[in-house]
Amino acid sequence: MKGFLNRLRGVERDIIQLPVEDDAGAPYYEAQNNEIEIFEAAYRKRLPVMLKGPTGCGKTRFLEYMAWRLKRPLVTVSCHEDLTSSDLVGRFLLEGEQTVWQDGPLTRAVKAGAICYLDEIVEARTDSTVIIHPLTDHRRQLPLEKKGQEIEAHEDFMLVISYNPGYQTVLKDLKPSTKQRFIGINFDYPREEIELKIVKNEVPELDDALVAKLVAAGRRARTLKDHGLEEATSTRALVYAGNMIAAGIDPVEACKAALVNPVTDDPELSEALMEIIRAHFA
Amino acid sequence: MTDSETLVAIQQALVDLEQISFVAHRDTQAALAVIQPYGNDVVLEWVLACKALFAHDRDAGKAFIRGSEAACIASQSVLSWTHQALQFLAWRGSWKAVDGYMGQLPDAYRSLGAEGEARWAALGLDWCERHLDSGIAYFRCPVLELEGGHGIAGIEEVVLPSLELFTKRRLALGTYLCGAIRVRNLLGIDAVLPWAKRGADILQAGRLRGEAFFKLESEESMSLLLENLPGFRTPEHQRLLQLVLYAWFGETFDLLEGNWSPDKGRAFIETDGEALYLPIALPSREEAILAILHAAGHMAFYSFEQRYIEALFKAVGREHPPLDEHQRITWRPLFAAYGEDMIRFQLIFDLCEDTRVDARIAATVPNYLGRLLAAAEAAPLPEGAAAAYLEWARLVLRWMAAGAPGGSDFEALRPLLSVEATVVDAYKTANEVYKNSILPYISLAERELAYIPGRSPNAARPVYPRRALDHAEFGTGTEDKDDVVKHDDIKPNPEQKQIPKHAAGEDPDFDIPPEETAGSGGRVGVGIPQPAHVMGYAKGAEYSEKGKPYAEWDYRDNRYKRNWAWVQEKQLTELDANEASKLLTQYAPALKRLKRAIQTQKPARMAPLRRQFDGDELDLEATMSYIAEKRAGMSPKANIYRQRVVQHRDTAVTLLADISTSIMQNNPNGGGRVVDSLRAGMLLFAESMEEVGDPYSLAGFASKYRDNVSYYAIKGFDERLTAHTRAILGGLSGRLATRMGAAIRHAVAGFDRAPSQRRLLLILSDGRPADYDDGGDERYLHEDTRMAVKEAVDAGVHPFCITLDAAGSQYLPQIFGPGHYLILDNINDLPKKLPEIYLRLRK
Repeated sequence: MKGFLNRLRGVERDIIQLPVEDDAGAPYYEAQNNEIEIFEAAYRKRLPVMLKGPTGCGKTRFLEYMAWRLKRPLVTVSCHEDLTSSDLVGRFLLEGEQTVWQDGPLTRAVKAGAICYLDEIVEARTDSTVIIHPLTDHRRQLPLEKKGQEIEAHEDFMLVISYNPGYQTVLKDLKPSTKQRFIGINFDYPREEIELKIVKNEVPELDDALVAKLVAAGRRARTLKDHGLEEATSTRALVYAGNMIAAGIDPVEACKAALVNPVTDDPELSEALMEIIRAHFA
Repeated sequence: MTDSETLVAIQQALVDLEQISFVAHRDTQAALAVIQPYGNDVVLEWVLACKALFAHDRDAGKAFIRGSEAACIASQSVLSWTHQALQFLAWRGSWKAVDGYMGQLPDAYRSLGAEGEARWAALGLDWCERHLDSGIAYFRCPVLELEGGHGIAGIEEVVLPSLELFTKRRLALGTYLCGAIRVRNLLGIDAVLPWAKRGADILQAGRLRGEAFFKLESEESMSLLLENLPGFRTPEHQRLLQLVLYAWFGETFDLLEGNWSPDKGRAFIETDGEALYLPIALPSREEAILAILHAAGHMAFYSFEQRYIEALFKAVGREHPPLDEHQRITWRPLFAAYGEDMIRFQLIFDLCEDTRVDARIAATVPNYLGRLLAAAEAAPLPEGAAAAYLEWARLVLRWMAAGAPGGSDFEALRPLLSVEATVVDAYKTANEVYKNSILPYISLAERELAYIPGRSPNAARPVYPRRALDHAEFGTGTEDKDDVVKHDDIKPNPEQKQIPKHAAGEDPDFDIPPEETAGSGGRVGVGIPQPAHVMGYAKGAEYSEKGKPYAEWDYRDNRYKRNWAWVQEKQLTELDANEASKLLTQYAPALKRLKRAIQTQKPARMAPLRRQFDGDELDLEATMSYIAEKRAGMSPKANIYRQRVVQHRDTAVTLLADISTSIMQNNPNGGGRVVDSLRAGMLLFAESMEEVGDPYSLAGFASKYRDNVSYYAIKGFDERLTAHTRAILGGLSGRLATRMGAAIRHAVAGFDRAPSQRRLLLILSDGRPADYDDGGDERYLHEDTRMAVKEAVDAGVHPFCITLDAAGSQYLPQIFGPGHYLILDNINDLPKKLPEIYLRLRK
């Protein structure tokens, strides 16, 4: 299986990909709560879902896992400031003397019955957030304004957005009319025992004591959120730190590189974070 | 002269002396015993000197005679110092110098030797020649301090720089000397000259200020010194320490500047149960971190919990002493029972309690004991009794760090390692240990040396009993734990001088307890309802001492009352820079977010406007889709250009805050007072506006009667945001009532000085307009405010009201018009919301 996957690396592939069928290809995910049941229920009823939670707490991994579980292809669009509706829906292109219409990722997902994941939707321009409105209610339609057409969504199509309420709250927020169309699932950093499991699973080379220290340090560092730290130490960052340690870097240095340097430029704050890390690893 | 003649001469001199003074004669006789072995010639000379000095000045003579015995023993000679002393005869009123000289002689001989002593005396005599008072100061200065362990060179290095200061700037040695010695002891001799030169400059600017500088009494002198103090400087790392504490204990502690100064011995972090007092510098970073963890550990693990303190006094069988004026309690009675041996017990008690607390901290902070032990091992053993205590603390720590193995000498301390142990257990254990202990007697002076790095005397200050446990039981202690915006009641730092409230001067009833003016329209000054009656017009309009008059609208007569409300512009004089920086730290994340949001709005570069119908260059993407769509047979809009323009928003804003008495009341949503949010809100607003770059001004208003509307200009449009402005905002407090109309009119007039075309007046209020003299007629000032708003709009100013009054919707629509006001339900949101609101409005 792995050999097969490796052959695909570095090769262009279509964005609509059915997940690998067998269990070995299952993305690793530890349930934190009842999010799996909620998501499955929403999927059964084809309701759009909003994943809320801080960066690096497992939203994307959760969705990969759910796509695998539900055996649906997953189309991910990372939204950014200049993302226009035509980036999502599609546009006319010139091809020789002809113009051809090219479907955007959303349109493709709607047609193929995939799960379309709009990551960090708030970042996108408001015009692009509005076009998903008809998709998210009973109509389940995608209007192609430029073509003067509309598409009834495939019966398996599902829209998922992610939304990090933390740092955009000032001046940047989803419109209430957009928000209330979704089933919301809240994510947070996992509980300590789950986080331990996750880090152990992601970095199997580390011994348990080291993982325990790493997770304890990370969780302690999290307390400084909002004391200058806008994004708390994420589970992903812990996994990165674990990987750095496994790659032979001294734990303190690895944590500095993975947990401290990326999140803050504030010297006092990094000192405080380092203080926590040194205390755990000294 | 033969021997017999000499003896006669001596006798004669003594008789003469006796005739002048009985006391002098008696003292001379007493000292003679020591002088006699040096031979009769010497004795004669000495006695003559006594007589001469006594004749010159009785006090000088007495001082000489009384000091002779000790001087003779120390110097093993007589004539050298006798000759020196005789030189004092040259000056009238030199007895103080003689007194000082004789007093210091033994030390001078002992520490400097005969040669050094001669030099020391010569230097002093030179000074007497130059300026007698300086000479007196020189001789009165303890010689041991003067030399500071460096011998005569030490004296010269301290004294010589002052020569220039004296000749050029008439700086007396007395002014300079004490300070200079302290500076040298603290920072080394190299620091003395720059310090003295700076002092001389200051002295030129002003005598008083300069003298205060030299006495190390002035802020600038101290700060100059402290700037150069070696070690880990806590003020610069306050935030780090704060963050470390928050990370480990999940609480914010007040970190205040303690009153430690470098010459007061060892630097400790002290606590009074409410705040931690940091010395300006600690020897090292590691020690600072350990010390702050330890001190905070005492607070977090209930060393100062009220119930335990009470239990403690109960265990001793006595009432605890009444709380002092600050509601603090002192530990002293606990130790009093131990009398002379008090310090010994105190140290043992401290060690027991420290052991308990450190065990608890170690459960939270990994590797804490290891670090504490490492620091303790590295500490040099002091001399004297303190060494035994330090060594004992080390052993206990070693035992703890090793996981408290059984069968050691410290079994008695084991109960303290339990989670349930309290300060009462520590006290009981301390008593056990005290009974069996062989630790030596220790003096107060040595006490500070007995602590290992990181620990400090626990009973250094009277404490405010904490009630964390009481709160926890009712579930109120942890409620707002996750809330960034945590408002603790601001309590004065007893170390710092509070500016008395009436220093502000202008508010005679500042101290009137807060009245209910917020909410659904509570009233101030409600007495017998009086009609706001027009008694005549004020004469001679325009600006006078009464301030600037404005008309006021009387809805009952349907006309303006001319020159009715008088507005005086005043300055706020209560400053609190500490509070301001505290607020800024507290809201740092919010501010950072705001600034970033502002930056995204700000045209930092010439942002291209895309998809324009007109412009300098083609928007390639738009063009592509235009052509493609055109080819596809559609008729797209021709918005295919890009334009580079600076989006210029020309807006000036005044933030006008209602600072009536009602803001001093407690926040209905919990967490501090309204004024705390107001301060933070205005600070954040100002900081954000600096980022926005729009011209803005800040003002507050309060009123008492129509002829006394105070308008406090905090920052004008053309002024910069300075530390002073911040301090004003930090010290903002409430007074009097809310005559909003007059304040609005005055603020609108202030826009004359604003450079921008678009003008926005943000009014921040917590209640309806009201004043003492509105006769209970709410509508009167409402109507007047409504008219003031209307006038403002006519003058091209856009007023917008932000209110903290939940019932604001009852009256604000009438006054400001729908959509021109905003009600903030949660006052705690104010700091974050205020700049946001502005940004929304200016779009």
